[in-house]
Parts: sequence; C-alpha cells; structure tokens
Amino acid sequence: MLRPLLLLALYSLSAVVLASPPPVSALHRLADETYWHSLGHYERGKLGGWRNYVDDDDFFLAEGGEQDPAAELAATLAALYAPADQGDRHAQCVYPARTRWLREQLSLTDLPAVECSEFTTWYAEVAPHSAVLVFPAAYLNSPSSMFGHTLLRIDQADIDTQGSPLLSSALNFGAFIEGLDNSILYAWKGLMGGYPGLFSLLPYREKIGEYSRLENRDLWEYRLNLTPDETGRMLEHVWELKQIRFDYFFFDENCSYRLLELLEIARPGLRLTAQFPLTAIPADTVRAVIDAGLVESIDYRPSRERELLARTEPLETEELNWARQLADDPQVLEQSDYLELPADRRALIQDSAYRLVRYRVTGEERDAANAAQSYRLLQAINRNPPPRLEVERPVLPEYGHESRTLQFGLGSRGDQTFAEYGLRMAYHDLLDNLEGFPMGAQIEIAQLRMRQYEGNRWKLQRLDLAGIRSLTPVTPLLRPWSWQLAAGLERVPEGDQDRLVGHFNGGGGFTWQLGGGLLGFALATARLEHNHDFGAAISPAAGFDSGLLWRNGAGNLLLEARGDYFHNGEVRRRISFAQQFELHDDIGLRLGLVRSFSHRAEAETEVQLQLRWYYY
Amino acid sequence: MKRILLASLLLTASASSFATAPGGPGCGWGNMLFEGQRGLPSHLVASITNGTSGNATFGMTSGTNGCSTDGALQYNGKSMLVLGSIMTELSEDMAMGEGEALTTYAVVLGIKPEDRAHFASVTQAHFDEIFSSADVTAEQVHAATLAVLKADARLAQYVEQA
Repeated sequence: MLRPLLLLALYSLSAVVLASPPPVSALHRLADETYWHSLGHYERGKLGGWRNYVDDDDFFLAEGGEQDPAAELAATLAALYAPADQGDRHAQCVYPARTRWLREQLSLTDLPAVECSEFTTWYAEVAPHSAVLVFPAAYLNSPSSMFGHTLLRIDQADIDTQGSPLLSSALNFGAFIEGLDNSILYAWKGLMGGYPGLFSLLPYREKIGEYSRLENRDLWEYRLNLTPDETGRMLEHVWELKQIRFDYFFFDENCSYRLLELLEIARPGLRLTAQFPLTAIPADTVRAVIDAGLVESIDYRPSRERELLARTEPLETEELNWARQLADDPQVLEQSDYLELPADRRALIQDSAYRLVRYRVTGEERDAANAAQSYRLLQAINRNPPPRLEVERPVLPEYGHESRTLQFGLGSRGDQTFAEYGLRMAYHDLLDNLEGFPMGAQIEIAQLRMRQYEGNRWKLQRLDLAGIRSLTPVTPLLRPWSWQLAAGLERVPEGDQDRLVGHFNGGGGFTWQLGGGLLGFALATARLEHNHDFGAAISPAAGFDSGLLWRNGAGNLLLEARGDYFHNGEVRRRISFAQQFELHDDIGLRLGLVRSFSHRAEAETEVQLQLRWYYY
Repeated sequence: MKRILLASLLLTASASSFATAPGGPGCGWGNMLFEGQRGLPSHLVASITNGTSGNATFGMTSGTNGCSTDGALQYNGKSMLVLGSIMTELSEDMAMGEGEALTTYAVVLGIKPEDRAHFASVTQAHFDEIFSSADVTAEQVHAATLAVLKADARLAQYVEQA
C-alpha cells in the first residue's frame, strides 16, 4: 500500500534533485537493452509482454515491475537519487549492479554518495576475483544424481599461488527447505515446484564435504576465464538476489539455469539461457558453457569412496583382510604377525583401514569409540605414511550423450511385423551409449512408445513414468545394495494378443564384478499390477530379476531373465538379449530379442532393431 | 509467515551482539576431531532439491554466520574459524605431511609460500603434540600448533607477528 505513495514521492523528489533528467527516449532505449532484462530476470512471454522468474515482490521497485522493465527502470533511477541518509537500505546499496550499469549508461555523475557498509563488508570478505563452475558427477548408487547439479565457486586473488580453494566461497542455487520431516514428500515437492529457490553463499569446503563425503560424488571444477571485473559484476548482482525467492522447478528453472543467467550478467553479450527453452540438465549446461569458450582448465576432485577404492586397489586378498581387521580393531597394529609385513605394505593397509573406518561413519554423529579408533590409525599413518594417492581421472561427464531420445524401431512379434516410435524425455538406461556415465546406472523419466502393426493398427506399447536401476558391484570391503524401481503402463501377454496394464515394481539385491566390464546381478522383486483380465483391481506378484551386463567393443550387452509369480496363479517369465552398437556420440543402434512365457498365452518371440537418437 | 521467519533468521545472523563464546555457537571453535557432517535424509532428496536445510545463508567464513569476529580468533587478519570445519581433513593431511587442508591452515596462519613445505614437515613430525588425542578441539589444536611453531627457528616468526 505504502509503496506507490513512496514511489510518487521519489519521482517528484528526483525531478527536483536531478539537474538535467535523462531524456525519456534514452530511458526507453535502456529499458529495451538485454542487459537490463538480465538484471531483472525478465523473459519475453510467449504471447508478448514479459514474464519473470523472480517470485518475490521485494525484488522490484515499481508496482508491477515484474512485468514492466521500463517502469522498473524509471523507479530504479528515481530511487538512486533518494537522500543518502537511508544508508544500507538505499537503492544504491540494495542494487549495486543496477546502480553501476545505470551510472555507466547514463553518465550519472551527480548521484548522492551513499555509504553501504553491509554490502562493502560482505564484498570485501568474499573478495571475488575469479570463478569456477563446479559440477558434481553422478554417483552410481544414487541414479537420481545423474541429473547432476552445478554451482559456482568464487575464488579470491592468487588462488593458485597463495591461497586454497577451501577458503573460497560456493554460490549455490537450490530449493529452500524448512524443517526436516524426512519424507519422500521432499522429492515430490521439489519436482513440482513446492519449494522456493534461493541463492546461498557458503564456504566451498562445506560443499566439498557434502558431495565428496556424504554423497560420494566426484567434483569437476571448470575454471572460467572471467576477469576480476566480470566476476565482481556478477557478485554485485548476487547481492541483489539475497533472500530473493525464485520459482524452483527441478526440470527447468533450476540451479543450472540460474547460474547461466549469472554468467550472462558477468559478461554482457553471452547467450546461454536462450539455448534451453524447456529443460536444463546440468551436464548440458556445462557443455553450453564450454561451447561459449568460457572454460580455461578443468580440475578433478575424487570422492571419498573413489579414494578408498583407489587405495585398496593394489592390495592382495590377504592384505585386504588385514585392512578389514584393522578397521574393526586397531589393536591389531601391535600384533607381531602384522608387524612382520613389509613397512611399505603396512603403510597401504593402514591407510585403507583408516579410510574404511571413516567411510563407515559417513553422515553419522560423532561417536567416541570410532573417533578413538580413527585416531589410533592416524597415528600409525603418521609414523609410516603411505605414498601420495593418485586417482585416475575418469571421462569428463559432459561428454555423455544428450539427454532426450527419439527411437525408431522395426521388428516382429510372432508372425506380425511392426514399426515402433518412441520418445524419452530423460535420460539414460543400462544399454545407452556409456561414455560419461557410470556403468550399471539407469534413470529414465517419461518415456512413450507407440507401435504400428501391419494393416496400420496402432497401439500404445508403453508409457513409463520412471524407471530407475542401480547396479553397484560389491567389493571386498563394501557391500552396497543394488536396487530398481519402475512405474507406468506396459503390455503383457494375454491370449493371442497382449494387454496394456498399469504397474509399479521394485527390487533389491546384489551385483558382482565378474571381470573387467562384466557385471552379474541378482535381485528379488515385487510387483503391483492393475490388469483388467485379473479379478482384483490390484494384483501383487513376487519374482526375480537377474542377468549379465557386459561392456564390449561395440557397446553394452544385456542378458536378462525375470519372472513374476502372481498370487492368482499367473506366472510370467521372460528372457531377453540386447546389444547396443554405439555408432556415434549421439546415435546408437540396438538389437533386441525377447522370449516371453505366460500361463495365459502361448510363448512368443519378439525381435527388434532400433535406432536411438540422443537429440537434445 | 515464512517470510517473517526468514527475515528474523537473517536478522539474528547479522546481529553480531548474538555471539558470546569465542566464535559463538555454531562456529566450530569447540568442534572436536572427527565431528561428523550430516546431510539431507536421502540422496534422492538431496539431488532433487539441491539444497541443504536452512541454506538461506549468505555469509562467508566469519562475521555473518552467527560467529563473532572479535580479536581472539583473528590471526594475521585471517579468521581462524576455518579450522573448526576442516579439522578432520587437517589431521589426515598433517599425519601424511601434505594436502589441501594443511595448505589452508598454512594460509590462515600467514605462512609464506616458501615456508610451507617446511611447515608441513615440522607439523608432521609433531603430529602427536598438535593432535594430542581423539578429543582435541579446534582451539587446542590451534594453541598446540603455535607452541610447535614457536620452537622452530624458521617458523617462530609467524607466532611473534600475532
């Protein structure tokens, strides 16, 4: 209510204070500038006019400013001339980036000199000098992490010679969650935009702890070639976004999109956000930043789990046993048969044991007994330090295939031939081109497949809401679960036809590394099915799913057997073979063979050759 | 309602009068070695929201996160509060004689680049004194470090500056 009055007052005030107000035409020209639109987070609406990603009135000075760049510009200009005694609440202090830009564009030499102590202190402490785009890579046992996240690291001067990245700040955009009621609702609300998005600035070392320790994700650090001026400009704008709420949607208005906007502020003239009309998957945005020529060099920071595995890799079975014993009971350090081992091997064993002890308590409260154990091992490491741990750099994650896929297949089912057309919104299945992805991880969101049989008969073949699989091999020291979840509509054998049913299923079990690039897995499964031919609305089934996944020269091969035993007596089994041929980064050819058995239908064989184009 | 909550959060964070103990609560100065870090309830949630709970913070190493920045914790103009949050990593690096956390510690202690290798080997040799038990706090580690530096001809200068 007060705001319009206040603005009116400011307008008239500025008319008095301004010696020679800028001509109206100049203001109109400025309000059309892309940079002003970036500063205000405006985007052209599809039906003309403006829309805005900021969901917070506090960000705008003009009434209706969220849809009117020109009014917002006029209001900002007026506010810049407000009396200087407002201090930290003065527009010059609240909007340092707008102030700088307008001052430069309109040569405003007569602005009141305002002392912005809060902003100045903050800016001096952050001391922005250069920036790094940080991309936490996917973690196998958490397929949802394949969507990734991006954040910015803001470095101070002389980061390489004088400083340390542990003293840098991390600029993060994420959903703001209040309270912790520990439920799946989070994920749902996050997907649906139920949380507001906010920028936060926190020590980078905390982010390292979060990703490389808690989530076991490697961090990729892309050093950007932003100049100190450009980095500073970006941080001035970040200050304007302090406590400002954005719409947060997992799929598009997410972290990566927001960071691209910031980079456009840092370097006027960059065009990054325009490439992402619908979804912005972090790996894609990393590619966009690289393509724009912003990346100077790339660093790699392995996760704690990867370090543990790299450390234990050269150990023999016997030595792994020692490491396990040490991790359970550091008293073993004093045993004479342990001390008989060569010192350099003991160095590796002790370090492995220490890392294992720490790994086991990841994310837990401090425990005095465990701390004492860890300390004991650290002392042993101190007396007999191992050589520096070298971790091999994996393939860069942004080299993975694009996220959206078109599928075109030809095949036969029994004696009928068909063409199949499919679209998958995201992201990767067990067989897709592997480069840049972890082997054995799958996350698919929204997949539709239509079939056209002979005689132009069309059928909805399947509609997947989601399909997640995580096949993480057990190692001598770690024993992770493998699991899968899927829900959607699919066809099952029924008489001489097939029947579209709704299903929800999941499974859990283990995966073993049987050789280089060969995984074997066995999972127990459960399924709920809605099938018109069954008496009950929902029919439960228990079953199994096991197979081999082999990485070969042509691509991935999957041999799989699964069975579902329904409470109503129906038994459904299928064995399948599929081989992907990786023709190009973004094109794959897949040969599939399925033989299915059911009590309610004859055994049936299906063959299909499918072209998969990862197009966007 | 939410906004009020948020605003009050910000207010307390920026009011420096709120800090009492050195560094104030939550600054990590009293943190013990091997203090854990806790995260969101699940990977799925963490990767979908990309947020940590209560992540509206906008402060940096010190000063705005409810930590006092009074003289006690300033060392050569840098905030020693960092130590509380890298203690575990520091103990690992110091035991082995190299690493990022050790470099960071050298930076906040004001050790010049040319003396850092020496600093690493001296602290490695005196690991048992600096990390004297599994229950040391950041404050104790800091004090013990200064004592070790003081006894070293080349590193003593960094203590006397303070």
